[in-house]
Amino acid sequence: MNDQRTTVFVVDDDLAIREALGSLIRSAGLAVETFASAHDFLEHSGADAPSCLVLDVKLPGLSGLDLQKQMTNAGVEIPIVFITGHGDIPMSVRAMKAGAVEFLTKPFRDEDLLEAIKDAISRDDVVRRQRAVVRQLRERYGSLTPREREVMSLVVSGLLNKQIAAQLGTSEITIKVHRGQVMLKMKANSLAQLVRMSERLEILRAETILGEDSD
Amino acid sequence: MSSQQYLALEGRRSGLPFLAGAAALTALTFVCFRYHVNSTTVGLLFLIVVVLVSLRASFLPAAIISLLAYLCLDYFFTEPLFTLGMSQTLDFVAPVAYIATALVITRLIWSVRRSEDERQRAEERLRSSQAELAHVSRVLTMGELAASIAHEINQPLTAIVTNGGACLRWLSAEEPDLEEARAAARRIVRDGHSASDIMTRIRAFLKKADAQRGPVDLNRTIQEVVALTRDQAAASSVTLRTEFFEELPKVLGDRVQLQQVVLNLVLNAIEATARTDKRGREIRITTLQAEAERAIVEVSDSGQGIDLQSLEHIFEPFYSTKAEGLGMGLAISRSIVESHGGELTAAADDGHGATFRFSLPLYQQKLR
Repeated sequence: MNDQRTTVFVVDDDLAIREALGSLIRSAGLAVETFASAHDFLEHSGADAPSCLVLDVKLPGLSGLDLQKQMTNAGVEIPIVFITGHGDIPMSVRAMKAGAVEFLTKPFRDEDLLEAIKDAISRDDVVRRQRAVVRQLRERYGSLTPREREVMSLVVSGLLNKQIAAQLGTSEITIKVHRGQVMLKMKANSLAQLVRMSERLEILRAETILGEDSD
Repeated sequence: MSSQQYLALEGRRSGLPFLAGAAALTALTFVCFRYHVNSTTVGLLFLIVVVLVSLRASFLPAAIISLLAYLCLDYFFTEPLFTLGMSQTLDFVAPVAYIATALVITRLIWSVRRSEDERQRAEERLRSSQAELAHVSRVLTMGELAASIAHEINQPLTAIVTNGGACLRWLSAEEPDLEEARAAARRIVRDGHSASDIMTRIRAFLKKADAQRGPVDLNRTIQEVVALTRDQAAASSVTLRTEFFEELPKVLGDRVQLQQVVLNLVLNAIEATARTDKRGREIRITTLQAEAERAIVEVSDSGQGIDLQSLEHIFEPFYSTKAEGLGMGLAISRSIVESHGGELTAAADDGHGATFRFSLPLYQQKLR
């Protein structure tokens, strides 16, 4: 979490607030980048380290809530801490439902804001790690041949080599070889580990199958 | 008004013209018979009676008068006398002419009256929606003003609080960063000034209307407010009474702003009065001229009055005794009156009711 590249992004149209937030966040030992509008922020390239966005709800042009929605639709996942001049309950409910970490009403206590930012960054850290693991698994799965994938799905569903051989109309020896390849390529040490991996890839697999069907 | 109510009202209106018509017919018959006026002349005289009755009565009474006129004509004036029979051309033409006249005229009058009524009702509706609009815009303006003041002030306030927090953190770090702390402190000073600038701008905004000032007839201004609020007062069973000093000279001011002040006071008075016993709910608006060349307007109500503690605070912004009140009405009213060089004061009338009073310098005085 104390990664050098960890950056807090601040979007607020008021220069005084941007400066104040910048100083406060830096005083907590975090890197900070400030933007005057949602558009300025969107033009900036996404961070490749755990980060967090401190976002004013009321912005000229694209509002904070709109930006949140737009980023969700675009698949950009960055935890958001909302700050607002006059937070009404429906607004905060909307923001929290859409995945905001915290919703603070100006003026807020500096501890509250820094706490929310740290919380957001550690959340982002966890999400990023998970995403990295899934990405790795996808890569490994991608290296399997179609036959190996078939074998893998039958293995994790609990069938014995003999049964798999019968189902695929081939010899048990061949299946054994395929199975060895699957374990090797997926870097699985045990059947249990392979099962867990396949669970993580479940969605991906469903998508692939659907994709093949529609072709 | 439904058509049934309308007919009932028409019936009541018809009684008098009908009797008058019948009396006129009798008198004419008597006089003309006595002096042997020829039948054609009598027929025309009777037609006049039918026209006059039709103008004032509805169709049925007008038709009866037409019939009576025809009978009198036939019986007393057309040959053979003292018989009813269709022997002469006039005997055929007269009843048709009478009935047709009665029908056409009553019909025309009816439609004229109906459009008149509709116009009146439309006017009433217009008045009540105007009053509503005035109230809504009053609430909106004040709500918006309060919200924007709150937002404007909240921004520098947030910056100050945040900079303060940052400044303390820079100072209490293991290796205090004095440069950062100094920068944060400088920003605190700057943002404090910008908050105070906002207050100056708001005051200037409230004074800004100077350019739109001219001579204002206070009595007329008040009359307009009374017209706007009459329906609302009636809905709360409150009587609005005005006691104008007729020769009140004009004052110098912004008509719309002064109207806003009177409107605020009257609406407050209606709300205060509506919370008391239904009997004797009254608001009195008085204008008078004070010795020092000033016009005075007083709005007194028979409401629950103001307790001494509230009296001290009612002109402060955001002070309200009403559950849904913003507490801006009197604060804004006072700043408007003061920007006109006048004074707005409140007094609790012992036991019941309150009186709000404002004075304004006269127009002439300003010219000198």
